[in-house]
Order: sequence, then structure tokens, then C-alpha cells
Amino acid sequence: MTMTFQDSQNAFAAALLHPDLPLPHGITTARGTADPLRFAVYRNNVHFSLTTALAQRFPVTQRLVGPDFFTGMARAYAADHKPASPLIMHYGDDFPAFIAAFPPAASVAYLADVARIEVAWSQAYHAADGPPLEVAQLAAIAPERIADLAVTPHPSTRLVRSDFPAGSIWSVHQGETVVPVGEWRAEAVLIVRPQMQVEIRILPEGDAEFLACLLRGAALGEAAEAAFAVAADFDFGSALIGLTTLGAFSAFEPLEGEVS
Amino acid sequence: MNRSTLTLALAGSLASAIASTAFAAPLAPEKMAGNEKCYGIALKGQNDCAAGPGTTCAGTSTMDYQGNAWKAVPAGTCTSMNVNGHKGMLAPVKS
Amino acid sequence: MSMSKDRTAALPQRAGLGLKPEHYATILADRPDVGFFEVHAENYMGAGGPPHRYLEAVADLYPLSLHGVGLSIGAARPLDREHLKRLRMLVDRYRPQSFSEHLAWSTHDSGFLNDLLPLPYTAETLARVIDHVDETQQWLGRRMLLENPSTYLLFSESTIDEIDFLAAVASRTGCGLLLDVNNVMVSAVNHRLDPVAYIDRFPIERVGEIHLAGYDETFDGAGDRLLIDAHGSAVRPDVVELFRHTLSLSGPLPTLIEWDNDVPDFATLHAEAVRADAMLSAAAPRRSVTRAA
Repeated sequence: MTMTFQDSQNAFAAALLHPDLPLPHGITTARGTADPLRFAVYRNNVHFSLTTALAQRFPVTQRLVGPDFFTGMARAYAADHKPASPLIMHYGDDFPAFIAAFPPAASVAYLADVARIEVAWSQAYHAADGPPLEVAQLAAIAPERIADLAVTPHPSTRLVRSDFPAGSIWSVHQGETVVPVGEWRAEAVLIVRPQMQVEIRILPEGDAEFLACLLRGAALGEAAEAAFAVAADFDFGSALIGLTTLGAFSAFEPLEGEVS
Repeated sequence: MNRSTLTLALAGSLASAIASTAFAAPLAPEKMAGNEKCYGIALKGQNDCAAGPGTTCAGTSTMDYQGNAWKAVPAGTCTSMNVNGHKGMLAPVKS
Repeated sequence: MSMSKDRTAALPQRAGLGLKPEHYATILADRPDVGFFEVHAENYMGAGGPPHRYLEAVADLYPLSLHGVGLSIGAARPLDREHLKRLRMLVDRYRPQSFSEHLAWSTHDSGFLNDLLPLPYTAETLARVIDHVDETQQWLGRRMLLENPSTYLLFSESTIDEIDFLAAVASRTGCGLLLDVNNVMVSAVNHRLDPVAYIDRFPIERVGEIHLAGYDETFDGAGDRLLIDAHGSAVRPDVVELFRHTLSLSGPLPTLIEWDNDVPDFATLHAEAVRADAMLSAAAPRRSVTRAA
């Protein structure tokens, strides 16, 4: 029986991904015999290139647990998660979810949230460009329409809410020396790139709830009510201006299906 | 809060925020950078060409593939993230 | 069919460098004398952001070569249409002077494997590669270059010599070839072939670009020398000599220095280009060759 091209490529890939399998049939050397070490070069290239890509995308996550632990965790992830496309910049979008469910990392409870910030950072970095909504456009809104307007988020806008000071932890790892985080509390982190620089900002609790609702498509009125419910001191005008000034939005739009 | 009360409250809040911050005029991007500091807590970021992972068309001679036979505990900066409380510390490792 | 100036212009017969994010600022500030820059197409397939901003600025100043690493032309499965569309968008946006890809595969049902994997050379695989090169050239509306691979193993089912395989793809599809001289050295040592004889037999008139890189050296299971295509160092002396021999047959050609791992500072990288430029200047112009119509 002769194997088709597709069959033999499937066998090659299977042996590449499952080290327990024997070498694929039909590989050889100039000596006339197969050499496991030569096949291991390809196996190694696949795993090394993927774990290296994760280390490059998650530098703070790696520093938090150290390179040995990180490499082991990245290997475990890469074993079952191959990139969906050749766009390696997107590889690891679901690595934070994997970390959250990875028992050996359970002792570092905030690790997955820091990884979520790193995903958001690189997504913002590569997001589509576009002019953010300007504050002047806020002033032009007819007062009676405000409550029913929804926003179009800027393509780069991401919000990461953590029970831990994930933003501060990320921040103290940006330099050579790492200092402990002072205040240990929940943080909501906005990541946005209105121009060419990624901005990262810790938001007050009410403002984070407000933005989370807007990102889900809620109108300003509904989002404001949700924000008041979690933070009595929520200031709608300051929050809307602050978020707009940071470039979190592209446009305002009447809520679909809303009758005025 | 009923609808008209809410609308009034939001419009008033926005109007006073606009008045108090003199934001009404269009802002140039470089001017935005100064004003936005008032809002939230800015975190120090990475430089602007930290593109993250890219492709490679090269191989490696680092033969480090060891399957999943791996035992390690986190051993990075996570052990020192919080000095005042214990929430940032690792759970004690049982030996 | 109307052809824009960019599409017909070729890369200059000079040394070029891979464009690395850590060098963006230096290049734009100093505008070093470099023949062209080459990028991996897949690294510029994000929607927006600084990578595109920088590439636009660099492409305004220098000729550009787009080098794909993810099309998987050597796969048994069909080419990914979504990826072809992304490539076409990039080609339309940046109008590079050259587009090249590899004789290798990387995409499988299990996902993108992120390595350039080898394929056997048979009548069946040749037909598949010809189809894939035809399809790519039709999608992009332009001629592409196909690169010879570096390989670490052989297939007992192979019935066609690698050079004959590449020559057949080129003559059947009209594509050009990218001759990676480091890959020639790596494969020749790994498979006990004579690298000079490989170059001498290569269809040199089809070559539109040369690649040079540094290899790593190790040993295989039987203790034989095994070269790894590592791109993490300066070009090795034996590859420099093989390049000189290549130029004696080809005349000057656009020549890329590939240094993708442990990327050095720009000055060190540029020194590699200056060395290659000196060799290109010393090479006699390519003998006039008659191309098959």
C-alpha cells in the first residue's frame, strides 16, 4: 500500500506533535537509516518557537514565575494549543484562561489576570487605527438624547478587571528592578491605543463598571445607573470626558431599536 | 431614578464637567496627552516598538524539548509582590 | 494589463537587511545606506498600529522585499484562502519590489506548526507545489520567488532531485527562485552533498534574490556533523566563500542578510551588509543569459 502525500504529511505531523509515537515511516539520512535526533530537530523547532513566542508576548507573566516554570507552563499549553493561523502575534490569546485553570500556577492567584493585561496590551498594539471620538463632540450632544446614546469603542480599547492589583503588578515589572506593590486591592485596567502609544490606566470602580457596560453595548443611561449602583460617588460627566479624552471611543450612536 | 430625572442628571453632570475642564474646544493629540493625566492612574508602559512575538524562518540548535515531564514551582518575582500582607505570597509549598 | 512602476521595478543588486522592530528608530533617524529591507509578511498582517506606521516610513525610503513564512506552499492540503487574501492586501498596500516564499509546509489540521517542514520530492508533490505556486501568483497578480529549503532529513520515497524539483516548478509556473546559500551549505553538509556542485547545477538564470545567514553546528545520532539553519550569528566563512562562487556564475544579485535570533545592534548588522556589498561590487555583471520564452 502506498501512502498519499496527505497521508504521509499527517503521519509526519502526528510524530512531530506526539513524541511517544515512532518516527514517521520513510524518513532517512544519507547513511540510509532514520535518525531520531534529526527528526527531533523539527520537534524541537516547533515547541521552542511556540514557547519562545509566548515568552515574548508574556514577559511579565514570565518574570513573575521565573523562566523554568514559565517554559513548563508554555510547553503544556503549546502541546494542546497550536496557533490558529500564521499570525504569531495572536498566539496565546487564550493563554490566560489556560493559566487560570493550570493547577501548578494556582498559588499565584493573580497570574492569569496579569497575563490578560499582556494579551490586551498586544491586541491594542496591533488593533486597527482610527480617529478617537473628541471631547468637542460630547459638548454638541443634545441633552435630552444623552441617556439613549451608545458608544462605538475604539478598536484598541480593552478593559481588564481583576480582584488583585494586576495593573500595579504589571507596572512594577516594566523596569529592571521590581518593587513590591504597595496597596493590595482590586484593580480595573483600561488599555487603549488612540494614536501610536499604548496607554494603560487604572480606573475607579464606578468608571470601570460604566465602561464595562458600554463595551457590552449598553446606552449611557443604563451604564450610568449600573455605575451608580456600585459607586455612589460615580461622576458621569467626569467619567465620560475622561474616557473620551483617553481615546476609548470612536463614535456615539443612537441605540438600535430605541424609539425617541 | 425615572427616565427624565436620569436624563437631567446626566446632562447636568456632563455640562458641569465640560464647563469645569474647558474641554469644549477640539484638542490636538499632544494637548490631550497633558489633560488625560487627570483621569485614572497612569501606569508606566513599554516602549513603542515592543511588537511582541514575530515569525521566524530559522531553526534552533537548543535541544530543549522534554515533553511534559516537568516539575517546578513558581520561582520568580511573585514571591515578593506584597510585603505588607500575605495575599501576594505564595501558598507554602509542601515538601 | 497596466503595471505600476513599483511592480515592475526589481530589487537593486545590493545587500539588504531584515527589518527588525528594535532598529526602526535608528533606521529612520540615520537613513543608513542599505540596498533594501525585507520583512516577514506575517508580521505585518495585524490590523494597524506601530508596525504598519514604521513599515510605511521605511518603504518610503527603501526598496522593499516581502518574504512569506506561513503560506505552506509545500502542504498536501489546499492553500489557505484567508491567508492568500491577507497577502494580497499587503502586496496591494506596500507594492513591494519582490515577494518570496519557501519550498516547505507549516500548516496542518492541528494548526500552524511554526516551522518550515520538509517534503518528499515526487511526481505527486511536484504537481501539488506547481498548483500552489500557480494559485499564489494568480492571487497576487505577480511573479513570486520560491526559496530552496534547509533540511535535516531525507525521504526514502523521493524520486526527484531537489534542484530538478525547483527547476521544474520554475519552468512550469514561470516563478523565479530565491537561492539561500546558507541553506545550500546546511543541506549539503547534512546530506553529504557537495555544496559547490549544488550551486553549479542550480538554474542560476532563474534566481531573483540570494539569502545569506549564519548556521549553528551540532552532531546527529551517529556523530555526523549536523548544521542548523539558526539565523543567530554572522554569515560563516564557508558560506561567504560559497556566496563568492555563486556570484562568479550569477553576477550581482539582490542579497539579504538574515539575522533573526539574538539580533545584534544595527551597526553590527549593517557591517554584514557592507561586506556583502563589497563582494557584489567586485562581481562581474551577470553573463547575458537567454531565457526560455
